Amino acid sequence: MIPNCKDIRKSILSISRESGHGHIPTCFSVVEILYAVYSTIRHDPENPSWDERDIFILSKGHASLAHYTVMAHFGYFDMQSVYSYGSFASDFGCHADRLKVPGIEASTGSLGHGIGLAVGMALAFKIRKNSRRVYALIGDGESNEGSVWEATMVATNLKLNNLTIIYDNNMSHSRGLQIHNPAERFKAFGCKVTEADGHDLIGLTSEISKNGDMVKAIVAHTKKGYGCQTLIDNQYQWHRKSPTESEFEKLIGELDEKAI
Amino acid sequence: MRKQFKNTVMDLAADDDNIVMILGDVSVYLFGEFKEKYPDRFYNMGICENTLISVGAGLSSQGFSPFVHTIAPFVTERSYEQIKLDMCYNQFGGNIASCGASFDYAWDGATHHSYTDLAILRLLPGMEVIQPGSNKEVDVLIRSQYDNGNATYFRLSDHPHNIDVPDIEFGKAAVLQDRDSNLTVMTAGPILGNVLEACKELDVNLVYFHTIKPIDAETIASFKHTNILVIHDAFGLYEAVCEVPELSVSFHGMPDRFCDRYGTLPGTRKEIGLDVESLHKTIQKKLDGVCCGLSG
Repeated sequence: MIPNCKDIRKSILSISRESGHGHIPTCFSVVEILYAVYSTIRHDPENPSWDERDIFILSKGHASLAHYTVMAHFGYFDMQSVYSYGSFASDFGCHADRLKVPGIEASTGSLGHGIGLAVGMALAFKIRKNSRRVYALIGDGESNEGSVWEATMVATNLKLNNLTIIYDNNMSHSRGLQIHNPAERFKAFGCKVTEADGHDLIGLTSEISKNGDMVKAIVAHTKKGYGCQTLIDNQYQWHRKSPTESEFEKLIGELDEKAI
Repeated sequence: MRKQFKNTVMDLAADDDNIVMILGDVSVYLFGEFKEKYPDRFYNMGICENTLISVGAGLSSQGFSPFVHTIAPFVTERSYEQIKLDMCYNQFGGNIASCGASFDYAWDGATHHSYTDLAILRLLPGMEVIQPGSNKEVDVLIRSQYDNGNATYFRLSDHPHNIDVPDIEFGKAAVLQDRDSNLTVMTAGPILGNVLEACKELDVNLVYFHTIKPIDAETIASFKHTNILVIHDAFGLYEAVCEVPELSVSFHGMPDRFCDRYGTLPGTRKEIGLDVESLHKTIQKKLDGVCCGLSG
């Protein structure tokens, strides 16, 4: 874990403790993915609506706190403003609203919507003969939804080589409807598939920056709660829990102990 | 009405590069001319209604004016959440043009009937809900609404009425009969053909709607001193009328059961009392009640 991603996880813990909200384990599984995305895509935090920017959609919208903290790290807004997370007056809801937060491209929350929107955006850029790209981060649990695969079929049928699907394989699916070998599934649906360690920032950045002539799917193998053994060992208990003061100190300690 | 839809869209597309057609494997032959002329803006995406709406919303987010076109129950009831969230909540509007409602596919049975579409879509914030009854209404209302950035539902029928409704304007009802009666019939869409035929010899007022949302509350309120009878082969208009305060409203139309027979549109309309003869009896009975002070 490089220092930036450790700091982002500390911010997630701190905001969750302060606000009483947060899906911490699922946020921790995507920190490196989000960091790699914003390190790679064309974007301008000073001008979030820049008309040459690439588009990123967080389809697994319940990881919004990780999204906000990474965006704050890249300069979209001040980290302090995210501390209002989930409160009535806050613009930073537990599922992001594109009309409230600059740089959020789509309001998500109900699962299985992000890829369809991304397909429409990627198609729009194709029609306009524009080189902009679209990236959608989806969850493995989310991929129980049929609409994920419906949209993937449409994307490959349209040969949208400006679309990258990143699949957070954090084993959420193992609780219910299991998706065995997601890489083979995306391949069967017509995607160019690569697999990556979802916590290897350098490897992820390299994969995200590669384009091809097909819809790209990156199966990122991650751990829910990555960075804190307590979260990894007690995923169900921590699914929506925010830490108490003593739990916060313990989790911060576990993060500090992690040498990578 | 679908042919008129195609003609209007073809005409608009000649001057508007932002129009994109997304078909759910219907009307593909009809839109052959569009495909030939604008191949990069024509997509028969297949039978995947959820994705058709999401893709339409995604196109809209980048400045296009998409028309998502497929069969009514599948694109509305099945894809309700995509319309609600991807188009309405995200404010990535677009046009949804359905076919087949309410009973245009009578022979296909209850799976292909669609009579809740207007009612459920009118509940979505920011949604525009239009039920054109004639080809002229299709043309006028598409031209006026298709590129305003809102999510707009056009419910197209293969059985339009042939009545020349005057002064067609989005959101405005038309008073087709004002006979200073104590009974006002209100209706919408293609069923107007039967309703007008049933009403024309009766001493009733008749108000016609092609726009279900926004509803023309002002015109409705102007008849609040009368008893109002909503006649419609769908849900949606009655509920919209009832939201206007201080009215006395009753409904004749959809039963609380599936119409599980097959056959033709006239057959299904007759089964639920929406043929001309049944309508005449219903309205006459209501009129008798009103005159005797039995209704209210």
